[in-house]
Formats: sequence, structure tokens, C-alpha cells
Amino acid sequence: MTTFLQYTLSGLAIGGIYALVALGFHIMWSAAKAVNFAHGDTLMIGAVLAVIGIDVGLPLWLACLLAIVAGGVFGVLLERFAVRPFLGGATSIGWMLTTIAVGIMIESLATMQFGGFSRALPSPGVAQAVHIFGAGVYPQELLIPVVALIAMAGLKLMQKRTLIGRAMQAVAHDKRAAALVGIDVDRIVAFSFGLSALFGAAAGVLVAPVIQASATMGALIGLKGFAVAIIGGITSAPGVVIAGLAFGVMEKFVEGYISTAAREIIGFSVMILVLLAFPQGLFGKKEVMKV
Amino acid sequence: MLPDKILRGHVLAATLALALSSGTALAQQQPCIGNSAAITGPAAFGGMAIKMGAEIAIDEINEKGGVLGQKLRFVQYDDAGAPPRGVDNTRRIAMSDKCVAILGGYHSTVAVAQAQVVNEIGIPYLGVLAANTKAVENGANPNYMFRVSAKDKWVARFLVEQALKASKTGKIAFFYENTGWGNGAVPDVKDAMAKAGKELVALETFNWNDPDMSPQVIRARDAGADVVLFWALDREGNQILRSMDKVGYKPTVIGAWGIAGNLGELAGPLADGVQVVQTFTFMGDMDPKKKALWDKLKAKYNLKDPSEVKMPSGVANAYDAVYILADAIKKAGAFDWKKVHDALYTVNMDGIVAEYKPAFVASDPERQDAILPKYYKLTVWVDGKLLPLEQTKYGKAN
Repeated sequence: MTTFLQYTLSGLAIGGIYALVALGFHIMWSAAKAVNFAHGDTLMIGAVLAVIGIDVGLPLWLACLLAIVAGGVFGVLLERFAVRPFLGGATSIGWMLTTIAVGIMIESLATMQFGGFSRALPSPGVAQAVHIFGAGVYPQELLIPVVALIAMAGLKLMQKRTLIGRAMQAVAHDKRAAALVGIDVDRIVAFSFGLSALFGAAAGVLVAPVIQASATMGALIGLKGFAVAIIGGITSAPGVVIAGLAFGVMEKFVEGYISTAAREIIGFSVMILVLLAFPQGLFGKKEVMKV
Repeated sequence: MLPDKILRGHVLAATLALALSSGTALAQQQPCIGNSAAITGPAAFGGMAIKMGAEIAIDEINEKGGVLGQKLRFVQYDDAGAPPRGVDNTRRIAMSDKCVAILGGYHSTVAVAQAQVVNEIGIPYLGVLAANTKAVENGANPNYMFRVSAKDKWVARFLVEQALKASKTGKIAFFYENTGWGNGAVPDVKDAMAKAGKELVALETFNWNDPDMSPQVIRARDAGADVVLFWALDREGNQILRSMDKVGYKPTVIGAWGIAGNLGELAGPLADGVQVVQTFTFMGDMDPKKKALWDKLKAKYNLKDPSEVKMPSGVANAYDAVYILADAIKKAGAFDWKKVHDALYTVNMDGIVAEYKPAFVASDPERQDAILPKYYKLTVWVDGKLLPLEQTKYGKAN
């Protein structure tokens, strides 16, 4: 029983990380119908800059805040120079390649500046494990899925209740029609990339105390986060969060009851099977689009 | 079209001529020592450590007049941990720079790839970090691959010995990373256990960047292991320790030198008491010989504290390797690959890491390695610092 609970809690923590990344993909997709494939590296930017901030003597809160803002700026710049020039094209190849390229560049730059070592981001949340019916978990780990759920709810509210949220949906639905009713499409798309990057950098700061900050931390969680977004249905915020948490828990159970080596094999097999059965993802809406 | 063909013909002829004359053209090598190592990328600290050790030794030797009246030079190329680049650099060092010997780098995968071309060319190679057993014990005869560093096979044996000493129940678990380095160690550790008449109670693997190891840790705990051996790097070592902390599992941890980097910073107090095998450390009290080397390092590379040297074993191994090589060149009486290769087996000297008496043994393929396991040292993490075990409370308790 304790072991079962341990796997569940550890899985929720990991799944929370996937969910946060997947939410970023969801935000971009739901306005621009394009994503930053290097979104995982936005987390890395947040985490690495926060550690660098502390290195130069900033207080923790200020280092984190500046790192998150820098992440947001990165998102806006990336949209302007690596995504927008390719959005009008007939295929999605352009922005896919440029965002992947930017991701690789950022990762190399971070390795050069930050070095190869992982670094710790101090947080009171990992000082002492708490025990729940014998299963141990750091408070920071519990915080991750909770934040993912809150972010999901907030996002839903924004999309339903605010002007900009509704504008994002309008742009996603039909760019030309949105422009005709007076929505500045470019600005909305830029906003969605900025928001998701802000969000990604914040997620990076949140998870760094648990998984450590390093130049390479973003690659795999970025990929898994995207997989989760696809499984959950990238158009649905609750969908990607539920899929993220479930994916994390499933991974831990595979590791625990089958083997560690089987994790990626089973995880990605499940992704393919889900896509075969539900091409729009588990909770995604069917949409007509040309790729 | 025509001039192009003529040019091609010339190139071909020149290549042929070079190939035919290589026997004589390459007889006289230069007083330079080459090195291919990672000087960019995540393991750049390894290349830096080698550079520091080799340069200090070369400076010292040159101050005393060099070798055979010639000053030694050090030439370092970056392989960034990529085997093809390591092979390329090896050819460049041998064919273009015509160095008398080559020092190895940080990555075992590079060293394994270099072994073949080194023996093909016949240039003496002294590994100073990469510990993969097969890189040096490669079955070639004559074998130009030598090593002045730890060897995984012996490290495994050493770690198992230490683990059995530390264990009350004799139940030992082994955690290894799913890489060439980690997987290469599995048979070594199993063999070492079998020789002691034991079996591992848990054999667990993990990937780089895995954030949580609780399933593996739970299995090791439930198997009753009271000592856990790590074949991991700092980042994953930290994650294992944290997962152990979460599930309330506190075994003795002993690791290969992958966790000698910044585990103390990552894991904080959880790292306290974690033991790591090394061939050398500048931490703790230094004897006069060590102190002298440290003072030179400090002056030349602007260091303040010994903890800034991320791979002290690499520094000291490279330092000793250069001295061994210089001695062999003197004994050979020429900057000649073959003669230096043969003379390496006659080197008898005291180094900073070990006594090399002799450095290598021609009749024993296992003794292409100069540093015997009795010179391996256990260090232990205490308050974020990696200290010699015997100078800490952990050493005194045993």
C-alpha cells in the first residue's frame, strides 16, 4: 500500500511537470495553430537564469522573477523572428524547423555559459521530505501538480471571461475573420507565445529545485510534454493536464512493477495507441485544418 | 575537365609516395605530447584537468633542460566527447604534428575508438582519465595503449571490496547509468561480487536526466541492501540520494568517480558520508609534494581553493603520465614511437599518485595500467567538500 502510494505521489510530481509543459503548448496552439518546439528550453531558461541570478548575489525571489520575465521576452522574440515569418506558408515545416533550431542554439549557448554541471536551485520546498501514510515526497513536488491544476483553471477563466482570452480563441478559429472584426492577429499570436514562455519559465523555476537546473534539462521534458499535449488533445486545457498527470503516474507504475528500462517503450507505445484510437487526443475537439 | 584530372593524378601520386615513404619519414618524431580531450561541452572540466597536469609537468621538465636536450611541447585538440573527432585528432597528432606520444581524454567511448587507430599507427598512448577496461585491454600485441588512471575492472573490484567491508549483511545493490560507461561496469561488478562468493541483491539502472528514482530505490531497500554502489554522475547521483531520502532508506553509498563533481552542492546534507573512489585529491591536508604541485597550479591557473579543481585525479594522472613518458624517452634515447613504446616497460619511478615500480609490465596484458588498485583512494563528501576518507569522522568510525 505504501509503495503504491509512493509511486502515485512520485508520478503526480513528474506528471505535474509534463502537464505544465503541455499547458504551454496548449496556449500557443490555441491562438497561433503553431507551437514552439523548443518550449522545453523555455523551462531551462527560467531555471538556469534563476541560478545565475543567485550566483551574482540577487535574492531568491528577485532572481526567479527576473528569470521568468526574461523567459517571457524570449517567447515574444522567438515568435517574431522564428515563427511569424513562416506562419503564412503552405506547410508547417518552416516554424517547426526554426523553433527546433533555436532550441538547439539556446541549449548550446547555455552549456557554454553555464557549464555541464547540474546546479541546485535552493528552495525551502525540498529541505525535508513529508510523509503521507509512509510514502515520502517533497512539498515542492506536491506543489507542481497543484500549480498545474490552478493554471489550468485560470487559463479556462481567461479564455471564457476576458477580452484577450476570447480574442485568442477567435484568432485560433479563423485568422481572417478575427482580423475583419478588428482583432490585431499578430499581437494576439505574439501575446500567446509570450504568455506560454512566461508560463514555461515559471514552470522551470518551480521544478528546478526538484530536477536541478542544467543546460540539457529541457530537451526530454519538452518532448514528453508535447507527447502529453497530443495525447490529451492539444485544444483542451483540462485534457492536457489530466493526460500529463496520468502519464507521469503511469510511468512510475511501469518503472515500479515492470522495469525502468521499459518506461519509454511503454510510454510512447501508449501515445501511438491513443492517437490511433483518438486522432484528436483524448479530450481534443475535432477541427478542420490544412497542414 | 582535363586540369582537374591531372590535379587528381598528382594528389593520388603524392598520397602513394607518402604512404610508401611513411616508414622512413615518420621515424623521427617531434618533442611534443598531443592530447585529444573534451575542452568544450559538459565534460570540459576533464580536458582542463589534463591540460593543467600535463603543462605543469612539462614546465618542470623544461626548466631542467628538457628531454634529450629538447624542450617538450603540449598540443591539445578538442573532441567534445565525440569518438570520430577523437580518432581524427589522433591521426592529426601522429601524422601532422608528429608528436612522440598522445595522452587520452575524459570519455571512455572516445578512448575505445582511439585504441584501434593508435595500434594501427603505432604511437604510444597514455590514457589519463577514461577508465574503460577494454580501451587498454584490447587484445592487441604489441599494444600501444597504456594508462595512468583508474581502470573500471579494478575500480569495480575495489568498490566491491569496500562495500563488503562496510556491509553488515553482505547484501549489496548496484545502481548504474544506462550509458556505455555504466553498462560497461556491470560485468566487472558482477565478476568482482562472484569472486567474493556473493551476488548483488539488486541491479538497477536509470537514464540521464531521470528526475525520480523511487521505484529503483524501493526495490533495493526491499531486497535488504545495506550498501549501494553507484556508477552515476552527480546529477543522477543526487536524484538517487533524494529518492532514498523520500522513502526513508539510508544505506552506505560508495561510488565510482562520476559523483566527484558537485554532488555536495546538489544534495546538500544528503551527500554527507557518500564515499567516492579517486586516484588523487588536493582536498584535506597535503603532504609537501602535493603542496608544491598545488602551489604551481594555483599560480599558473589563478585558482584560490583546491575545490575549484573539478577532476583532481585527471590533473595528477596527466602530471605523472608526462613524467613516465619523459623517462621512457630518455631511456629510449630517441623521439621514436617504437623505441619509446618498448622503453615504457622499463620505467621505474615515484609519482605523485603512485609508485611506478615498474610502470608497465610487457608480459602481463593487465599491466598496461600503471596505477594499481592499492593506490585507489576513498574520499567522502562532508559539508559539500570531498575529503580524504581517513581525515574525516567517517574514516575514523571504521
